[in-house]
Amino acid sequence: MAEHLSCQEVVELVTGYFEETLDADTLSLFEEHLNFCDGCEAYLDQMRATIAVVGRVDDDVPDDARARLLTAFRQWRGT
Amino acid sequence: VIAYKFLRSGGTSAFTAFRWPLPADGPGAWVEAPVAACRSGIHACRPADLPVWAGRRLYEIELDGEIVEERTKVVASRGRLLRRIAAWEDDVRDAYTRMCADRAHDLARELPAWDATIERLAAYGPALIGYMAARIAEERGGPAAYAAERAHQAVWLTDRLT
Repeated sequence: MAEHLSCQEVVELVTGYFEETLDADTLSLFEEHLNFCDGCEAYLDQMRATIAVVGRVDDDVPDDARARLLTAFRQWRGT
Repeated sequence: VIAYKFLRSGGTSAFTAFRWPLPADGPGAWVEAPVAACRSGIHACRPADLPVWAGRRLYEIELDGEIVEERTKVVASRGRLLRRIAAWEDDVRDAYTRMCADRAHDLARELPAWDATIERLAAYGPALIGYMAARIAEERGGPAAYAAERAHQAVWLTDRLT
């Protein structure tokens, strides 16, 4: 296991951090990174503020649109 | 078990914002929470963990109850702050930042792109420049060199703080 995460890896893990789905080892690496990286801490604060303002999107997205969006997000994350 | 805990200037935890009962004439009050690494419990540093969690204020903490050792921390079901380690803020913090920057320069002698960032990053304080020194070591010597640099930092801090 790596001893540290990059900023890009932290950004990719942000959703898991907010949803509390990161395993303990990954969460520790995530917080170790935040301890020294003001940039990622600021990014996290921005995400918190965005979530507070926007809240959850109503669960009324049609199934086909949801599937297309999920596919697009997964492809984007893989690039 | 005696361990160490970094807090923000206001006496709050870095990640939970929990406001700790601070020591005054004696130890602070006991705080209790079930143990679950990074989720719950009293999280603290062993001497070897100090570089990883370097923060604004440093306290000595007494741990009790269930105690679990993790890769870069120890987690307990009970803890109380015993004393503030003033030396960290008085001069060790700045000296450690300078030591890490100097080490980073030494390690980056053949890596000019890395070397050029060191002084700018040192201005952000000890946590970042400590990490950068270890990363430069890793760039030259791989993960073992990263771990060795972190170990060197821990010994440096332990000699001056514990």
